[in-house]
Amino acid sequence: MKIRTALSIGGLAVLIAAPVLSAQQERFRKTPPPPEPLQQELGLPALSAPTVLSNGLRVSVAYRESAPFMGLELLVNAGENVSPDAEPGLATFVASLLSRGTQTRSATEIEEIVESLGGTLFVTVNQDYVRISFHVLQENLDPALDLLAQMLLQPQFSEREIANVRRIITYDLQEKESNPEFVAKRQLYRLLFKGHPYEKFAVSRDLLRNWTPRDIQDFFDRYYRPNNAHLIITGNLSLSQATRKISHVLNTWPAREIPGSPQKPVRPPDKDRVCLVDLPQSSDACILFVGTAFPRPDPADRFALTVLNQVLGGSLSSRLLMNLRESKEFANYAFSEVDVFRSAGLLFIRARVLPDKVVPALQEIQKEVRALATTRPAVPTEIELAKTYLLGNFPLGLERFDQFTARMADIIALGGGEELWNGYYGQVMLVDADRVLDAAQRYLLPLPFVAVIAGDRASLTGRLAALEAYDIYDSKGQFLATSTKDKKGALHEAGGMRPEFQRRPGQK
Amino acid sequence: MPFKGRWTWGWAAALTSVLLLPAPASGQKSGSLPLTHYRLKNGLNVILSEDFTLPVVSVAVAYDVGSVHEPQGKTGMAAVMENLMFSGSANVPPRQHFNYINRVGGTFNALLMEDRTVFYQTVPSNRLSLVLWLESDRMRFLEIGSRAFEDARAAILEDLRDRRAGDPYYDGARAFDQLLYSDFAHSHSLYGSEEDVRGLTLDDLRAFYAARYGPNNAVLCITGNFDKLKARELISQYFETLPRGRDAAPAAEPLALARKQVVTTFAGSASSAPAFHLGFRLPAPRSVDFYTLTILDYVLLRGRSSRITRRLLNPDAKIAYQLSGGIEKRRDRSVYKIFVIANNEAMAERCQSALFAELDRLKSSPLSEEALGRYKAMFKQDFMGRLSTTVDRALYLTDFFLSLGDFQEFGLELDKYLSVTPADIVGIVARYFSPENSIILNVRTK
Repeated sequence: MKIRTALSIGGLAVLIAAPVLSAQQERFRKTPPPPEPLQQELGLPALSAPTVLSNGLRVSVAYRESAPFMGLELLVNAGENVSPDAEPGLATFVASLLSRGTQTRSATEIEEIVESLGGTLFVTVNQDYVRISFHVLQENLDPALDLLAQMLLQPQFSEREIANVRRIITYDLQEKESNPEFVAKRQLYRLLFKGHPYEKFAVSRDLLRNWTPRDIQDFFDRYYRPNNAHLIITGNLSLSQATRKISHVLNTWPAREIPGSPQKPVRPPDKDRVCLVDLPQSSDACILFVGTAFPRPDPADRFALTVLNQVLGGSLSSRLLMNLRESKEFANYAFSEVDVFRSAGLLFIRARVLPDKVVPALQEIQKEVRALATTRPAVPTEIELAKTYLLGNFPLGLERFDQFTARMADIIALGGGEELWNGYYGQVMLVDADRVLDAAQRYLLPLPFVAVIAGDRASLTGRLAALEAYDIYDSKGQFLATSTKDKKGALHEAGGMRPEFQRRPGQK
Repeated sequence: MPFKGRWTWGWAAALTSVLLLPAPASGQKSGSLPLTHYRLKNGLNVILSEDFTLPVVSVAVAYDVGSVHEPQGKTGMAAVMENLMFSGSANVPPRQHFNYINRVGGTFNALLMEDRTVFYQTVPSNRLSLVLWLESDRMRFLEIGSRAFEDARAAILEDLRDRRAGDPYYDGARAFDQLLYSDFAHSHSLYGSEEDVRGLTLDDLRAFYAARYGPNNAVLCITGNFDKLKARELISQYFETLPRGRDAAPAAEPLALARKQVVTTFAGSASSAPAFHLGFRLPAPRSVDFYTLTILDYVLLRGRSSRITRRLLNPDAKIAYQLSGGIEKRRDRSVYKIFVIANNEAMAERCQSALFAELDRLKSSPLSEEALGRYKAMFKQDFMGRLSTTVDRALYLTDFFLSLGDFQEFGLELDKYLSVTPADIVGIVARYFSPENSIILNVRTK
C-alpha cells in the first residue's frame, strides 16, 4: 500500500514538473552534438609477407600484446571448389572430421583437451578454403600446437566418427532446409554458379555420398599439405618465436604436389530469370533473393561496390528498406550484400515480402538497382552517410578476438592486402559519387539478375501471373516445372527436366 | 528488439570519488584494466576505463530497477519501461535513438533483468558525446505519451504470448520460481502477468519512471578509446545538472536455506515430454563461498566434460533429452537451477537419481587437481571473454560495482576463483547441495 501511494505521488510530480523542466533545458540539449574528428589510424598489426618453412608452410603472426588468448588460424586450400564434381560436400565432410579423432586421441579426448586449455576449436568451410580456428588461453599455446599437429600428422577417420559426422551434417542441413532464407540463398547460388566449382558449396542432403574412411583419407592426403596451407598466429608472440614453435611440431608434415584447381572465372547469368522454390508450409510470407555474379572485382571497384551496396540496401536507412518497407509496405525487411570470393563477386538482395506483393516487390527491387546506374545515381549526401556508417562500423567488427582473427584470416585467404585492413579507412574515404556510378554502370546495369522466390507454391501461383515465365523447384532444388504465359496471357506449366538442369549439382 | 537476459546484481553503498589504481600484480589481465570511479553530486556513479586498441567506445547505463521493484498487481512495469526508454525524449524524436546510433555505424542493446535494467551502445570513439546526449536526455526528459505507452504495452503482451506459445514449459518455470523464492518480488515473472500488464496505466509508468530512473539510481560506465579529461567534461555537461531522484529502498534479506526437501508436481505442461526443475538455495552473491560455487558450476554443467552433462547426455546412455541450468544471481540472493527434459517418466526419475549420485560422488571422491584445473581453465576462458570487448568490459564493470558496492576487490577476483581447491568443492557440495536444501518440481504432461 505504501508503495502504491509513493508511486502515485511520484507520477503526479512528473506531470506537474514536466512542462517546467522542458522549458528549463540548457540550449546544448536541443540538438545532437557534432562529431569529433575521426581517428585516422586503425593501428592494426600489419599483414606482412609470411615466413615460409622448409616444407612450404606459410607462417604469419599478428602481434596483439594485450590479448589474453592465442589464436591459431590454419587456412587450407581445401574448400568445396576442390570437392570432386560428382561428390559435392566431400570437402566439408573431411573438414568436419578433423577434430573427431587422431591415432592416439578419441573425439571425446580432444574435446577434453580443448576445454582444459581454456580453448575453442572450430572448423569452417567455404567455397575456397577451410579455416581451422583454435583459440586458447595465452599460456597454453604449446599444447595447442601439439594437438593441432596431431590432427594434421596423425588423423584417424573411423567408421564410427564418419557415421557421427554424417548424422550431424544431415541433421544440420535438415534444420536449415526448414529456413526459407537458407533454401532461397542456396538456390540462388546454384543458379548463379551453374557449372562453376562454387556450385558444389550449395549441397543438399540427398547429394551426400556414403564416403568410406579410404575416400576421406585420400582427399585429406591430396589437399592437407603444408605447401597448401597458411598458419596465422595471433597474440603476444614474435614471428621468430612463432616460427620456431611451429617448426618444432610441424616440420615432419610432408609436402606434396597439389592437384591443380585453376581459378575458373565465373560467368554472369545470360539473362534475367525468375524461379520459385516451393515451400508448402510458408504461406504467411515469402523470401526473395535477387542477385547477380561477376568476375572478382579489383580492390578499387570493391570499395565502390561496398559504398554502392550501403546506399542500396546495407542499412536501415538504405533505399531498399525505405522503399519496400517504409513507403510501399511490401516487405518486412529488404537488404543487399556484396560477397567477394577468389574467382567471383556477388551482389544480392534479400527481402521478406508479403505473398500478395511479391511481384511488385520484385519490380521495385529491379527498379532500385537500375536507378543507381541510370536515373537516380547515389548523391553525395547518400554517399557520405554510407561512408560514415562503414568507417564507424569497421572497427566494431574487430573488437572480439574471434572476429579479429577471422577477418584477418579471410583477407589473407582471399588474397587481399592492407587495403582491406589498415588501409580500409583511406580506401572508403576515396570513394565518391563518380566511382559509385561507374561501379553501378559496370557491375549492375549490364548484368542480368536471377530472382529466387521461396514460398508456398499453391498460394503464390495466382500472384505470380504477371510474370512472363518462371521455373519451379522443390525445397531440395529439384526442377519441377516451368510456368509460361501464352499469347492470351494464360499460364501453363510444363514439367520434366529442362535440358540445362538435367545435371544435378555435382553430377557429371 | 533489445536482448533480454539475466545478470548479476547488487547495489552500491555511497562512495566518495576515488581514482582506483590497478590492483596488485596478479598476472591476470583484469588486474591491469585502468579504472576511474567517482560520483556526481546528484548521485550518479561514473566508471571510466580506457583502452586505446581500437577507435571504439562503449557506454552502459545501468538502472537499479527490475521486476523485483514491481508491487503486486503492477507486474510488467519494468519490461514496459525498458521499451518506453526507446520511445523518445524531449529532444530525441520517437524511436530515433536507434537511428542516431545506427547511422554512425554503432550498435546498441538493452538488458532487462529481475533487479537491473542496462542500456548500452558501442560507437566509433569520435561519437561519445552523441551517446551521452542520448542517454542524458532519456534519463531526465523521457516523454511517456499515451501512444508510446500503448505501443510498449502491446509489445510486451505480444512478447508474453509468444513466450508462452513458444515454450511449453514456461508456466512450469514460473511455478518453480514461486517455490524457490519465498517472496512475491522475486517469484513473479520478469515480464509480468498478462492481466497485470493490461491493467497498467500511463500514470503507473510515469510514476515508476520518476521513482527509479534518476541519476542516483544509476551507474554510467564508459570504456574504450576516449580522452578521460574530455569524457569527464562531457559527463559533467550532460549529467551534472540532472536533478537527483528518490533514493532506492534498502536491500532485501538474503534467502534462507531450505531445511527440508520440497517435492511437488506441476500438471499443466503443454509439452508431450516430462521434465523436472531441481533447485538449491545458495548464499548471497557477496559470500566468500561464491568463488567455489562458481567453479562448481563448471564442474557440474559447463562444457561437454562437465559431470552432469556427461552423465545425463552421454550419447551411449543418454537418459535426458535436454539439460540446462546454472547459478541465478540477484541482488542479495542466489539459487542453483537445473532443468531436465526426459523422454519419459521413468527416465526423468533416473535423471534425478543420477543427479544426486553425481553430487554424492563429488563428496565421496574429491576431484583431482588435474580435473579441477580443466574446469578452472574453462572458467578462465569465459572470464577473459567477458573482458574482450569494450562493451563486455562496460557490462562487467557495472556488474562488478553493483554486485560488490565498490572496487576494493577489483583485479583480485580471478585469483580467488583459480585458488579454489578440491577440498573447497567437497565442502560446498556438502553445505548447499544436499537433498534437504533441494526443491524439485516435476512437470507432468497433460
